[in-house]
Amino acid sequence: MPDETKAVDFDRTFLPHMDAAYNLARWLVRDDHDAQDVVQEAYLRAVRFAGGFRGGDPCAWILSIVRNTAYTWLRRNRGSESSPEFDEKLHGGSTEECGLEADAVRKADGAMIRAALDELPGEFREVIVMRDIEGLSYKEIADAADVPIGTVMSRLARARGKLALSLKDRIAKEG
Amino acid sequence: MNCDDARPLIHGHLDGELDLVRDLEVERHIDECPRCTREYAALRAMRSRLKEEEFRFAAPLELKEKIRRALPAPQPSRGNAYPARRGSWVARAVRFAVPMAIGAMLALVIIPRGFGPNANQRVAGEVVASHVRSLMAGHLLDVVSTDQHTVKPWFNGKLDFSPPVTDFAKDGFPLVGGRLDYIEGRPVSALVYQHGKHVINVFMWPAAGDETSAERIKTEHGYHVEQLVVAGMNCWVVSDLNPQELDKFAGLLRTKG
Repeated sequence: MPDETKAVDFDRTFLPHMDAAYNLARWLVRDDHDAQDVVQEAYLRAVRFAGGFRGGDPCAWILSIVRNTAYTWLRRNRGSESSPEFDEKLHGGSTEECGLEADAVRKADGAMIRAALDELPGEFREVIVMRDIEGLSYKEIADAADVPIGTVMSRLARARGKLALSLKDRIAKEG
Repeated sequence: MNCDDARPLIHGHLDGELDLVRDLEVERHIDECPRCTREYAALRAMRSRLKEEEFRFAAPLELKEKIRRALPAPQPSRGNAYPARRGSWVARAVRFAVPMAIGAMLALVIIPRGFGPNANQRVAGEVVASHVRSLMAGHLLDVVSTDQHTVKPWFNGKLDFSPPVTDFAKDGFPLVGGRLDYIEGRPVSALVYQHGKHVINVFMWPAAGDETSAERIKTEHGYHVEQLVVAGMNCWVVSDLNPQELDKFAGLLRTKG
């Protein structure tokens, strides 16, 4: 019963990752209700494509579907949002020194950190969410975002640089 | 190594993703360079802030239930449940999902008995499935109480044994309630504990005598399962908690349970 076996595996393999799926979707579309739609849509797509799952990390696999679903959803519903296919060179820089103090980060208001992350372009926001919040490895992020591992590290470096700069500005304004 | 070389690699170092040689080079540079030391400290602080629970959105329970329901027996009311723009592929997904779902139900019934390399693995599969179901179907608790003296008597008359019930709130694992469940073809008690936002299910039934406290941790699709024998009870502990914390919990169960 090959099909049935696969179906059982779907429940046990992919349903445990609903929190990770929702977290990524929520950070990408930035709205509770829309994130729920995206995750539901992603899971229905996942059922359809489950036959294409060739082992590997199920969390990264489901996140890659969530991610694609979220970007499709953003393009369709909020045409202005950036797409994941972007020019690495245009978004370069930001590995410069940020000059942020560790102490200031520890004291920073949670809402301020959230706002800073929310305002990063999606391609930077997603790597921080997957690495720092969700705890995925570079390999898993590379699988989920369909980019080489080297790109994961350089994008993460720029993403954290931008987040640090934004946080520093916000802290300066508030103080 | 100078600052320009080190700066992009600092992230790989922070994440433990560099090869050993480069990792040591970056570490040496950070030690020698006050500016990179400061930068690295800020990045570490940022990363540890982001690990805090407030930045992780957990899927709402109703979403989990909705997905769960949509998978086995989807019955979309035409055009109402979903806006029209999403209609077409949802319909296709649903056509695909129905036979899959029927297959899934059949397989749940048939496969665990027929296959399974050994009994323990089969039980581990069953307790994980029960754990997942308990979180998804909105049927986590039959009796909601943090009081062990309420939970224990509740099982009277519902089971042919009386499971030991202890609250571990002082140790960071508060009891939240209990429920009846069904494992290995028999009714069992399920005690539910919480640790942070993680739910722990403890399934218990009388040990047949030949079980020993194996205490081995298995990982089944992201869940950790631990089996032990406490006061003549066969206990299966399952959670998405990390193995160290789960081990700590199992320790409490073993010594104070």
